[in-house]
Amino acid sequence: MLWTHLGYLLPLIIVASGAVLLMLLSPVERFSMERFSLFTFVILLLALGVDIVYFGKLFTAFPMEGLFSKMLIVDSYSVYFDALILSGALVTSLIGTHYFQIKRHFKKEFFSLFLFSVFGMMLLVHANELLTAFIALEIASLSLYVMIGFQKIHDKRVEASYQYLVLGSISGTFFLLGSALIYAGLGTTILGDLGKALDGLMGKDVSLIVIGATFILVTFLFKISAFPFQNWTIDVYDGSPLPVTAFMAATFKVAIFGFILRLMLIDLDPIRDIWDTLFVVVILATLLYGTFLAIIQESLKRMLAASSIVHTGYLLIAFVSIGYAGESASSSIIFYLVAYFLSAMGAFGLISYIAADEHVRVTYEDFRGFAHVHPYMAAMLSVFMLSLAGIPSTIGFVGKFYIFTGAIEAGYTFLAVCGIIATFISIYYYFKLIALMYFYPACEKEGTMIPTLSGITPITIGVIAIAVIWGGIGNTFIAYFPGVDFLIDTARLSYMSLFIK
Amino acid sequence: MIANTLFGYIVIAMVLFSIGLLGVISRKNIFVIYMSIELMLNAVNLLFVALGTYHNDMGGHVMAMLVIAIAAAEAGVFLSLIIVLYRRKKSLDSDMFRTLSQKEAV
Repeated sequence: MLWTHLGYLLPLIIVASGAVLLMLLSPVERFSMERFSLFTFVILLLALGVDIVYFGKLFTAFPMEGLFSKMLIVDSYSVYFDALILSGALVTSLIGTHYFQIKRHFKKEFFSLFLFSVFGMMLLVHANELLTAFIALEIASLSLYVMIGFQKIHDKRVEASYQYLVLGSISGTFFLLGSALIYAGLGTTILGDLGKALDGLMGKDVSLIVIGATFILVTFLFKISAFPFQNWTIDVYDGSPLPVTAFMAATFKVAIFGFILRLMLIDLDPIRDIWDTLFVVVILATLLYGTFLAIIQESLKRMLAASSIVHTGYLLIAFVSIGYAGESASSSIIFYLVAYFLSAMGAFGLISYIAADEHVRVTYEDFRGFAHVHPYMAAMLSVFMLSLAGIPSTIGFVGKFYIFTGAIEAGYTFLAVCGIIATFISIYYYFKLIALMYFYPACEKEGTMIPTLSGITPITIGVIAIAVIWGGIGNTFIAYFPGVDFLIDTARLSYMSLFIK
Repeated sequence: MIANTLFGYIVIAMVLFSIGLLGVISRKNIFVIYMSIELMLNAVNLLFVALGTYHNDMGGHVMAMLVIAIAAAEAGVFLSLIIVLYRRKKSLDSDMFRTLSQKEAV
C-alpha cells in the first residue's frame, strides 16, 4: 500500500530531491556547467519515465492520506499535466544548452532553481487544497523570478524580474484573500469538500464564496495574462533570457490551467455561470488588445509575447464553454495547451539559438533574406509560424479546430467567430516574418554572427518541428502510431478521472 | 462591542489589505512597495487566524503559519532584488528603472 503511494509521488520526489542535490553540489568546483545541464536533463527524464508508467490509465488516489490528509491528489488528470510540464522542462533544458554555454553569466544554481520551479508546477497540478495550491504557485513563481533576474549585469533582466515579482506577489495576495473568504464561507479549503459544502448552501446567499472565487480568478487571469492584467507580459517576456521565456510561456500556463480547471470543474460547478458574461468581455478584450499589441511590435520576441496574449484568448474561449460542453471543451483546452506548447517552445527555442550572441536584437529586419543563408532554420521557423497561425497540416490548426467546435457546441458561436477573425488577423504578423525570410534578397550585415547548425539544440528543435507537422497530419499516414487522436483520447480520459468519487 | 466580534476582525483585515494595495499602487519607493505587499499578506493572516477561531478549527491557524513562511521566502527574493537594483542606479525611486518601458524599447 505504502509502496504504491510512493510510486504515485515518485516523479515529484525525484524532481524535488534532484533540485536539493544540485543546490548542495553547486559550490563544488569540480562539476562544470555542462555536467549540471546533463544532470538536470537526466533527472527530468527519470521523472518523465516514471510518470509515463501511469499515463493513459484511469485512476484517482489520495497518496498517503494519513500524512497529507486530502491535500495532494494523483489521478490520470494530474499525470497528464505532469507529463506535459516535464516534457516542457526537458525541451527547455535541451534548448537552453547552447544558450547557457554561450552566455557566461549563468551560475550552476540556475539549474537547481529550474528544477524547483518544475517541482512547484507539478505540485500545483497535484494540489487538492487551496493553500497547497498557493504554496506550489509561490514555489514555482519565486524560482522563476530569480531565474529571470539571474544575469544581473543587464538592467533589463533585473527590472523585468522586479516587475514580475511585484505584480506576481500582488496577484498572489489576491489568491490568498480569495481562499480566506472561501474558508470563511464554507469552513474548509479542501477541494472535494468545497463542492459538497457549496451544494449544501444552494438557494442561500453565496456571495462570500462568489467574491472569494473571483479573487482567485484574478490570480488565474493574471498568471495567464488575460486582458486587464496583461501589461506585464510583454515587458517581462522581453526582459527575460529566451529559454526562460519559453519555459514561462509554455509550461507555466499549462500548470495554471491544470489547477484552475480542477477547481472550476469540480468545486465551483454550481455557481460557475455567474462569471459567463465577465469572461465573454475578458475574451473579447484579450483578443482585441493582444492582436493590436502583436501588430505594432518590431522585435520578434515582443511579437511572440504579445501573440501569447492572443493565444490566452483562444484558451479562454474553451474555458468559458466548459459550462455547456464540459468534456469536449476541457479536452480541447488540454490539447490546445499541447499544441501551443510545441509551437511556442519551437519558436522561442530557435530564436534563442539564433540570438545566443548577445548583440543581435532579433527584430523583423534581422530576418530579411534569412532563408537564402540558413534554409533549414528558416524552414523550421516557418513551420512554427504556420502552426501558431493555425494553418491546416500543423498541430496548431487541430488545436484551434477543437476549440472553436467546442465553443459552437456550447452555444458561443459569436465568440468562435471572433476567435476566427483574430486568427485571420494573426496571419499578418506571423506571415510578415515568413515573407521577409523568403521573398527578399539577403543583405549581409557585419556583426550579426549566427551559429551554424551543430549540437543538441538544433536537433531538439528539428524534432519539435516534425512533431508539429505530425500532430497536424498524423494518423492518416501510419495507423496505430500515437498521434493527435491518442492525445485527445488521453485528454478525455484525464477529464473523466476528475469525476471518479 | 465591535472589537471582539468576527466582523471587527474582518473589517480591520480588509482595511489593512486596502492600505497595502493603495501603497503598492501609489508609492514610488521600491522598498515601500515591498512593505505594502507584506502588509497585504499579513492582513490575510489576521483574517485566517480570526476565521480559525470563529470556525473553532486549527486549520486557519496552520494556514497563517504557512503564509508567514511564504512571506519570509518572498522577503528573501525581494530584499536581494532591491539591493541589486539599488547598486545599479544608486536610487530606490521606481521612476529610475525604465529600461523596459515601451517608449524606448519599441
